[in-house]
Amino acid sequence: MRIGILSFAHLHAEAYIGNLRATPGVEMIGIADENQDRGQHFADQFESNLYPNYEALLADQPDGVVICSENAHHRPLVEMAADAGVHILSEKPLATSLEDAQAMTDTCARAGVKLMTAYPMRFSTPMVEIKALIERGELGRIYTCSTSNQGALPRHHREWFVEKELAGGGAIMDHTVHLADLLRWFLDSEVVEVYAQTNHIFHADSVDVETGGLLMLTFENGIFASIDCSWSRPKNWPTWGGLEMKLVAENGVVGVDAFRQNLVVYGQQSAHPTWAYWGSDANQAMIEEFVDAIRENRQPIVTGFDGYKSLEVALAAYQSAESGQPVKLPLQ
Amino acid sequence: MKIGIIGAGFMGSTHAAGWANTDAEIVGFVAKPGEAAAHQLAEQHNAQVYSDLEALLPLVDVIDICTPTHLHYAMALKAAESCKYIFCEKPLTRTLEESQELIAVCKKAGIKLSVGHVVRFFPEYKQAKALVDSGQIGQLAVVRLARETFCPKKAEDNWFVDLDKSGGVILDLMVHDFDYARWLAGDVESVFAKNILSSSPDAHIDHALVILTHKNGVLSHIEGSWAFPPPMFRTRFEISGSGGMIDHDSQATSPINILMQKQVDGKTPDIPTPTSPVSEDPWTTQIKAFYKALIEDSPLPVPAEEGLAALQIALAAIESARTNKAVNLETLPELSS
Repeated sequence: MRIGILSFAHLHAEAYIGNLRATPGVEMIGIADENQDRGQHFADQFESNLYPNYEALLADQPDGVVICSENAHHRPLVEMAADAGVHILSEKPLATSLEDAQAMTDTCARAGVKLMTAYPMRFSTPMVEIKALIERGELGRIYTCSTSNQGALPRHHREWFVEKELAGGGAIMDHTVHLADLLRWFLDSEVVEVYAQTNHIFHADSVDVETGGLLMLTFENGIFASIDCSWSRPKNWPTWGGLEMKLVAENGVVGVDAFRQNLVVYGQQSAHPTWAYWGSDANQAMIEEFVDAIRENRQPIVTGFDGYKSLEVALAAYQSAESGQPVKLPLQ
Repeated sequence: MKIGIIGAGFMGSTHAAGWANTDAEIVGFVAKPGEAAAHQLAEQHNAQVYSDLEALLPLVDVIDICTPTHLHYAMALKAAESCKYIFCEKPLTRTLEESQELIAVCKKAGIKLSVGHVVRFFPEYKQAKALVDSGQIGQLAVVRLARETFCPKKAEDNWFVDLDKSGGVILDLMVHDFDYARWLAGDVESVFAKNILSSSPDAHIDHALVILTHKNGVLSHIEGSWAFPPPMFRTRFEISGSGGMIDHDSQATSPINILMQKQVDGKTPDIPTPTSPVSEDPWTTQIKAFYKALIEDSPLPVPAEEGLAALQIALAAIESARTNKAVNLETLPELSS
């Protein structure tokens, strides 16, 4: 199985390249990037083959590609890969507009290629455990969930993360979709309403997008859930951020923290304690699912449709924040 | 100064312990005649039990109201006929109109009226507020407050589960955090809430999630729960600003963890209470601060208007949960002055 990476605009490409190399039976054929300097930089860093452009990589007939361009630039790469008959794993959010997301899923369906959205939390071992707990019926009926996916300002990773044109927005676009997807998965229901409020107090001087946000989602089955998507973690927080959920159910309350498996390190590298994660690598399991889906010629367990539905929640949140009242889904 | 306490239940006894730490004198408790706990409590404080507020009223300067929420209004109004000072447990009253009238009556009669928003006297909450005010975390941006526990039990007539009497988890429990959020971040512009009610036919727990938008743009996420198994009582907050954050979890900071093979008496508590040992019980701190303001004739630490504002937020949350609309708060005349 031959897999390449299109664009290193998103920092996750730096993890995926190692994940691909660690996957049995996979040949990481190389990378391509429209930014020549960036392509060269990462090709050198990871000792990888660098194709002169995306067309050249696709002409080399890979089985699949991982797309890590800026959020707003997923669509043209997905269309190129689909035209070449290559299966696709796209970084999240799938797109920055529903029009783009719809076109991408349509194109891939027509071309007969698989489109997977990169939602590694579906493969996080604590999250998989919670899904199993729900499916075994141990919680009984779930009433409500309180969730958060907070982080530090992602600017220090990549400048475009805080640019509306390329990222599609700020904290909401960055940190809503993982939880929207997990909630859809856990609750086995679609979101029918979103209420949101945003503000711009964290990093007000340095970025133009919203940096604080609170959402309330209501699902078709009546369950409601809140999401805190704020870039509220200060620069001296022990890690990049985190993702936590609390499920309030008939038989009790369950909390889950996806990144709790840490050592607390009081080291020489930092003036404050830092967390060293020792839990299992969800990215690795996600890449292996992409590869398995291609190998077994089946749909991956997270699809382009999942990417579309969670993007819809984020876009509805922007509408609600604008109007001050809840917004009904599906969006037109 | 002579004190009369209405109610000899959990709160009545807690307040009495607070008053016992001042040089004021507890004269009596108003309770049902023959109520064993009331007589025990009265004996402990060398006081009498009165079956009727009217009989106690002429004997005291201060009336301290520790009854179920729906009774606050009528008792405070009665007390206002003759006493000088009133301390009322939170929430101030069950309805907004009741609080407004009560405040007007007390103002006219020159009575000092205070409300028991005791969270302001919990050392962790007090210190967090001081840190925020000192600019330690820059400009406030997103506040998360959570209070996680079980539904209080009563041997008979559990008024806590009666929405008309207590206002449920949103008014009875979360009013603490509405008050704290407002104390930290200022007046609230709009409220959006969702809740699960044990009174509905298809649920047996109470849990609510509330989003407050403050006038200055700060957002607060407030979570209140009676969905946990006893004896859980956990408070958490995460206060973030442009320059940092303050994090608190009562479970993580509990200095003592007792895991018994067997409960000594085989029972779980009826009323959830915080357990972190501190040198002075926050209810005592609260009563002492109130008493000090009375004897020094200085401004009350928590005037009734603050209780009115917290009540307004709670009632807006109840309305939002019912109507599924964000509720914009009117500026109340009592709060604009």
